[in-house]
Amino acid sequence: MIRSFAALAWNGFREARRNRVTLVVAAFAVALLVTGMLLTSSTVSVLERVLADVGLGAMSLSLSLLAVFLSSGLLSREIDRRTIFLVVSKPVSRGQFLLSRQAGNMITLTAMLAAMSLLFWGQHLLYGFSATQPMVAAVGGLWFELFVLTSLGLLLSSFAGQITSGVVALAVYLAGHLSADLYRLATRSDSLGVKVLGKAAYYLLPNLERVSFRGQAAYNVHVDGAAFWGGAAYALGYSAVLLGLGVIIFSRRDFK
Amino acid sequence: MVARGLSKTYRLGFWMNRKVRALEGLDLELHPGEAFGLLGPNGAGKSTTLKILMNLVQPSSGAAALFGKSPRDEGARRSVGFLPENPAPYEYLTGREFVRLCGTLVGLSGHELDGRVKEVLGVVGMERAADLLIRRYSKGMIQRVALAQALIHRPKLLVLDEPTSGLDPVGRRLMRDIILAERQKGTTVLFCTHIIPDVEAVCDRVAVLVGGRAVRRGTTQELLSAAAPHWELAVEGMSAEQVRALAAPSVQVELIAGKAVAKGADAEVQALLRKVVEANGRVARLQPVRFSLEDLFMEALKEARGGTVGSEIE
Repeated sequence: MIRSFAALAWNGFREARRNRVTLVVAAFAVALLVTGMLLTSSTVSVLERVLADVGLGAMSLSLSLLAVFLSSGLLSREIDRRTIFLVVSKPVSRGQFLLSRQAGNMITLTAMLAAMSLLFWGQHLLYGFSATQPMVAAVGGLWFELFVLTSLGLLLSSFAGQITSGVVALAVYLAGHLSADLYRLATRSDSLGVKVLGKAAYYLLPNLERVSFRGQAAYNVHVDGAAFWGGAAYALGYSAVLLGLGVIIFSRRDFK
Repeated sequence: MVARGLSKTYRLGFWMNRKVRALEGLDLELHPGEAFGLLGPNGAGKSTTLKILMNLVQPSSGAAALFGKSPRDEGARRSVGFLPENPAPYEYLTGREFVRLCGTLVGLSGHELDGRVKEVLGVVGMERAADLLIRRYSKGMIQRVALAQALIHRPKLLVLDEPTSGLDPVGRRLMRDIILAERQKGTTVLFCTHIIPDVEAVCDRVAVLVGGRAVRRGTTQELLSAAAPHWELAVEGMSAEQVRALAAPSVQVELIAGKAVAKGADAEVQALLRKVVEANGRVARLQPVRFSLEDLFMEALKEARGGTVGSEIE
């Protein structure tokens, strides 16, 4: 069972590699080079902060979009192309298949996050700055954010098509960074309906700000261990619920 | 493999309120070592039956069992090799990588896996193209690699959905030879097709499915001998009308390539033969008409028309 799981997960990584998904890292390297050159000529006094902000922001945006792209159409693509017939007819449970695909996506995203982080720190070293604790926390937090996004994408693709899943996952990604603001706004409203809606959105949507430490990284503010691990546990718990729902739905699906 | 009262109704549409019945009360039982053919036109429910057996589709009612276990049980599928219709292996892999992946999924590893991958790729004649990406393969090559993955773990039951459809004559012959070789080894084979010569060449028993119901079943021989024997008499030097005037009313006479060709039951054609000779007609040919599975299939199709299965019911 473990061997099948590992084989399918590794196959997911191989798929991404052979479909040239890793070109995103090359695009990131070029973006770092260009922004570095542009920023040194304009913002000398706050260069370290701006480099951290831009680098981590670009990393977060590109990998989050990639996570949504990789996961949201994954199962529907397998069903549409009928590749799934040859795999789930083997002694592999539907749940095992779904979780191994999640693992495959996370191997891909982890490899790319590692490569981008090395480029990011390489750029910092080039300009005479060093890696800081908040930067490491920001990269670690991004990994957990990607875990939530791929879990969400897989859940959506277990019952919807690629476009629907992609659009909904992107909307949740954006709302997930604003859920605390939505809650605050809702509590100040006089309308009971808005209050209920805001609270419901806060509790239902993933609060991605709990694993986002980019602000601290930019201003070099130490990230508390409890805040980091609390956020990580929240992200893993939220993802477990999403994946659990995905497994239940996917296990009942007919492949016509 | 046993199936009892297997039915499937698909729910379609955004609100899932449209129902299409694909299969209705199908009973099937396969004996170890036999080759069983599911024959039927498109939409007869053949693929749905196989998909239920491979846990790709859940039955609406009834139950199926593989080696005494539900198809949902992973252990039940461990001894089954499956080739779906129009197989689609991962096109970013090479043939060898794909067969290897499938071997790992059925529990093979190490030297055994290496050996079996090489062996099955050889059996299907793909050893030379095994290291090319599947996206470069032709349809025939994809079919061969898909068959290789089905054979990788020496399955006890081979389930094949339209294995020869879309193949050239060489590919069809190879596919048939492999199926026959597997049967000789004692593998039970269940395959569905609408290509009748394949069924005649390979199967011990047949079920004809029309509109989701089994309308005929039995050994190939039983089904063919159940039909009344027919003879065909071709006459030269007489018009179709002259021959028709001599023949019994149930004998069909038509003009084919300048000859009056009469078809009918044994006794009636023998009587007609005597009359034709007496009338100085020249007998060009007298031969038995083989009642084929194709005739049986067409007959079953005509009888079963008008059911609700295979079309929208709500």
